Amino acid sequence: MRVPERFRLIHIVASPAALDKAEYLRIAPDEALAFAAPESIDDPYAIVEPDDGYAGLWLDAQEAEKFLARACEWELPPHRPAFAQGAVAGLPAKLWIERDRMLILVPAPYAADLEERLA
Amino acid sequence: MRFVFDNHPVDFQPGDSILIALLRAGLHPTTGGCLCLAGDCPHCLATVDGISYTRTCRTTARAGMVVERHPKDGLPKLPPATQAPPVDVRHVHCDVAVIGNAELPAEGRRVVTLDSKSGQDVIGIYAGPLVVARTAEGMLHVHPKEIVVATGAIELQPVAPGNHLAGICTARAAEKLKAAGVNLGRTVTITEAPLRFEGTGSVTAVVTREGRVECDTVIVDLGRTPRNGLARMAAGLPVRAVGDAAREPQIPACPQAGVVCPCSGVTVDDLKSVWDRGFHELELVKRATLAGTGPCQGAVCVPHIRSFLADRGGKLQPSFAARPVAFQPIMHEAAAGAYHHPTARTALDAEHRRAGAHMERSAGWWRPWTYADPLQEYWAVREGVSICDIGTLGKFLLDGPDAVELLDRLYPTHVATLKPGRARYTLLLNERGYVIDDGMICRESETRFFLTFTSAGSTHAELWIRDWADAWKLDVRLLNRTVALGAINVTGPLATALLRDAGLAHPPRYLEHKIARVGDIACRIARLSFTGEVSYELHHNAGDSVSLWRTLLALGAKPHGLETLLRLRLEKGHIVAGQDTDFDSTPRRLNHEWAVKLDKPDFVGKAALLRTNQLPLDRQLVALETKGEPPGEGAVLWNGKDYAGYVTSSAWSPALEKSIMLGWLRFFNGSLPEEVMVAGKTARRAATPLYDPEGRRARA
Repeated sequence: MRVPERFRLIHIVASPAALDKAEYLRIAPDEALAFAAPESIDDPYAIVEPDDGYAGLWLDAQEAEKFLARACEWELPPHRPAFAQGAVAGLPAKLWIERDRMLILVPAPYAADLEERLA
Repeated sequence: MRFVFDNHPVDFQPGDSILIALLRAGLHPTTGGCLCLAGDCPHCLATVDGISYTRTCRTTARAGMVVERHPKDGLPKLPPATQAPPVDVRHVHCDVAVIGNAELPAEGRRVVTLDSKSGQDVIGIYAGPLVVARTAEGMLHVHPKEIVVATGAIELQPVAPGNHLAGICTARAAEKLKAAGVNLGRTVTITEAPLRFEGTGSVTAVVTREGRVECDTVIVDLGRTPRNGLARMAAGLPVRAVGDAAREPQIPACPQAGVVCPCSGVTVDDLKSVWDRGFHELELVKRATLAGTGPCQGAVCVPHIRSFLADRGGKLQPSFAARPVAFQPIMHEAAAGAYHHPTARTALDAEHRRAGAHMERSAGWWRPWTYADPLQEYWAVREGVSICDIGTLGKFLLDGPDAVELLDRLYPTHVATLKPGRARYTLLLNERGYVIDDGMICRESETRFFLTFTSAGSTHAELWIRDWADAWKLDVRLLNRTVALGAINVTGPLATALLRDAGLAHPPRYLEHKIARVGDIACRIARLSFTGEVSYELHHNAGDSVSLWRTLLALGAKPHGLETLLRLRLEKGHIVAGQDTDFDSTPRRLNHEWAVKLDKPDFVGKAALLRTNQLPLDRQLVALETKGEPPGEGAVLWNGKDYAGYVTSSAWSPALEKSIMLGWLRFFNGSLPEEVMVAGKTARRAATPLYDPEGRRARA
């Protein structure tokens, strides 16, 4: 099994209305992650910061299915692509699920635990 | 094909259960008792391949198996922890889980059937709902929206003297045994409660009201009671029993004598005894006798105990809520799918381990306690320059039109007067005026703040801020940066020179902060001091931590661990919230009234402080010093023969050449004792800071 790597994401905190105007990995009504910084955001108080706080890896569909079948207690959304978050293997995880692969992210301080629990 | 039973080979036929093979060979896995062959009773339990309490009636015989009787006296041994490998778990989601054998039209729903006949033994139903089942491949965790329990009925077992003998079985068990070719010898079937069984070891006769019949096997057909333990353990969950599992139970006649609960060896006389002592409720009888708490979880005894209690109390009591039924899971199976709460690692964790640091868990994080020699680490801070990984600190960005108002209402210190670029220490109080955390406020702009909290307190601090912002309907944005940012504290009299060497031409002054580059890493640099020396906290993107750490080491900084950091701060008298504070520590008790501005219009905890400040102090956190080795943290303080308090922090101070402590000390006759006894030694109260009282070194 591969080793999780630290990901550089963009973390955005803004009014829900401002976040509604674009496609993000929405982790809370006022909070989102993005793979790239937004060109603009309609909130003068928005906090937009690079975020090195997540580590993870891409799994192919088969690996993902096998891992989640034993490590995920909740049901994944049926559509693709889909974003989901919750406990996976006892870790707070965020999942970006595409048709043929899945990105699993956990807080970087738990990267070693994810590696161990993927095995 | 053979397996081994108590060191003797036993032949078996393909498909045989262990029990069938044993009975065919004229053996019995226990000393006797009425066999059900349905997994309900405890009369066929044995140790199979090291796993005790295995139901041999439900375990298919395999060549080479080792089967052992449980010891006659005492309990079977637990297998060694290393014996069983981890058990896999598989999660399945569906609309309906059917437990047992029931035809259910799917009607477009996803239906999962869990039938013990197909090798899926359901252990229990839990909140979620979650159905946990054992399978040959491992544990199955089924997450349905609805559960149907179709587990049929249990055949009632006989309660009478001699019911422990071999040669007794239920009607359905007899059919199975005959079909398997087991020779039952002379049989007699009884349909009413027997008066007694006769024999030594095995049954030779049964006595009923109709008379005495000699036999080799007694087949008991006394009625059925629903096998609804799973449904009973799922109170409040979307579970329904169907078929025989939902039928009214047939209540047997009140037992007169004999063993009622074979798992716990509870007799009718025991029931009479607890009844006479006032235990009249089924739950209380269970607790008083342990009836129903063994491997069969009451399947055998509960109908008879209910009958007993109804006979005496005039009312049939409901069965007690069930716990895991049918099969005794081994520890590894029970633990399948469970995970230890992880301990977080900072971005520098691998660097510390490579450097040979002794790592300890602290505040939910792995932290370097020391790298080799704590005293060398200490003097590196006091006389040179040293670095410490403080990436565990809680770190937050706050912005919004109401940010100042929120912080001014939340904190007991002034926030509106804090200028951009400046930093201020603050306590965090709850409504009762008790200190729940502390940290720094760094103002970045008119509306944006960078906040820090203790490593242990950051999660709660986030909840606290969000909760109050919501309660006051204030318009703010809050971003938790705790894991996104690394933080390195550069400290010591040569810290400023080191940062200049790293390219920082204009370091911030004391209690200032700025964003600048150190080496080629962008940092938020806050000049504070927890160690008592010049200190710069370098907050930076966690992905840059290793590069920054190595740059600072290359420039001559030595690393120090948590042991040294705690020693340094203790010399300064700085508290660690959660270690030196208690659940009711007010700023006054902590000697931190300087951090509370009661002239502010309001803040969380102010009303309580105004009230409690009127009360006489009963105890205070004080500094103490003594000679020799430091007493352990938690050591009791004595004022003569009177308990006077306890030590919260202690260490040897190399600079002061004495042991120093913080501790809670009681007032005696309105004043604090100047001297107390601790660990057999005299300790004197001391003023804080113990080291560099004027704070010149930190501000240098």
